[in-house]
Amino acid sequence: MLALNNVTKNYGKFTALENINLEFSGGVYALLAPNGAGKTTLIKMLTTLIFPTKGEILWNGDEIVKLDASYRDSIGYLPQDFGYYKNHSPREFLLYMSAMKCMDRAAAKRRTEELIEVVGLSDVRDKKMRKFSGGMIQRVGIAQAMLNDPKILILDEPTAGLDPKERVRFRNLISSLSKDRIVILSTHIVSDIETIAGSVIMFKDHKLLTNDAPTAICGTLAGKVYETDDISAITAPYLALTEHQDGGRTITRFASERDCSNVAVSAAPNLEDVFLYVYRDEAV
Amino acid sequence: MTDKDRSIEYILDHGLVKPKTAREQARDILRTFGFKFIFWDMAFSLIFAAITIVVVLAVFVAVPENYRYSATVAVAPLLYLLVSVFTETEERASGLYELKQTCRYTTRQITAFRTACYSVAGAGYTAVVAWMGARGALEFMTMYPLGLLALFTCAVPQLTLTRYARHRWANALYAAVWVFVNLALPLRLGENWEKTLAGIPAAVSLGIAVAGAAISAYQIKKMLTEVQAYARA
Repeated sequence: MLALNNVTKNYGKFTALENINLEFSGGVYALLAPNGAGKTTLIKMLTTLIFPTKGEILWNGDEIVKLDASYRDSIGYLPQDFGYYKNHSPREFLLYMSAMKCMDRAAAKRRTEELIEVVGLSDVRDKKMRKFSGGMIQRVGIAQAMLNDPKILILDEPTAGLDPKERVRFRNLISSLSKDRIVILSTHIVSDIETIAGSVIMFKDHKLLTNDAPTAICGTLAGKVYETDDISAITAPYLALTEHQDGGRTITRFASERDCSNVAVSAAPNLEDVFLYVYRDEAV
Repeated sequence: MTDKDRSIEYILDHGLVKPKTAREQARDILRTFGFKFIFWDMAFSLIFAAITIVVVLAVFVAVPENYRYSATVAVAPLLYLLVSVFTETEERASGLYELKQTCRYTTRQITAFRTACYSVAGAGYTAVVAWMGARGALEFMTMYPLGLLALFTCAVPQLTLTRYARHRWANALYAAVWVFVNLALPLRLGENWEKTLAGIPAAVSLGIAVAGAAISAYQIKKMLTEVQAYARA
């Protein structure tokens, strides 16, 4: 189990994260927050790239700082800005990364071939990555993160810049890889996690706001979300969430603390509603 | 619980593990990766540095007689400086730096190993420069320590910067400053600079060079062994 106990991270006088307590035991955990909320800071602490200013991070009861290389052997990491060597093929790159992870040469070859199949890059395994699309590069990224069959898979904004088709493919891939391991996924794209995350972790004002199942988080807005095609008729204070077109009408989805069922249709809240509601004061 | 208690608890749980020395780390890095993966994708940097060195040496042989010492001091650290700066800047700019920092042997440890190789190559190259610049074996005995002095005077800040500064262009900026200073000094001070350098006794040059080499070795050793320092920076 991976546990954060009272973790605080300061950059000089700026507090990026304050007094965070979390436990990760298995399945997909999504870190959902706007940009600048501290997701990447948390991920960098989990990957030992930075240390907490206060508190401790424990892996199976031992501090990850002390575990050092043996902890790093347990993690697979896909950074937000995944760099790659343009002049090499996925196979060459994965073999290189296997060497970096100190894998046995025969096992590395076997695992590389296996992962190339899993991420669907068999046809281009020996092509230089220079001309790869963003989605293909991300698939190489996830393959390198999986090379050492990590117990903890950490993905920082893995779907940023991907087209919708690639995002769906990527989600399915993550879902299939989440068995018997902890997957920590950072994103600000709600649709990425609605279907695959077992737990959603949200931060607000650099503190932990919630850590719960998506349905439970959606439940916090139950009875507060409505839809109407005449928003001007709403007299109660409300927060406009989204708009969509339906048969030439503009349907506005909004949240209100007061009962508006007499002038609008009640709707089942989703994660996007919660996200917009919780971060209504922040630039998203 | 105090730090001492924690340490005792840790030893009781895991046994007493002797930390690896820098030499053991370097040996293990070489054994694990081989030169192929240690210098992987560094070809452009190495070729670019080699071309620059060839051009610099071509200019060096044509330097006027009364600027030989100034030229030796300016040219001697260039192999080390260019190779280490180009490769480190390329490494940091590649976007894989942080990813590789999360592997068992971190990027910094591999960089330290590379830097040790560059230092040895730099000392050899300095000998060649001193040999080309000196008029006879006796003068070589003065010029080589002076070249080494320049090499390690250049290496110590560069290594310190590599160890502590996280900015990708930190090394490149340092190289620019170093080259500028080495061009500015002879241009500004003229023959006085040449006389100052020629007047430094070989023993003094050698002493400073040895001290610089020791500090460089210490920095490399620290980068090989203190894995957690990057995260604290």
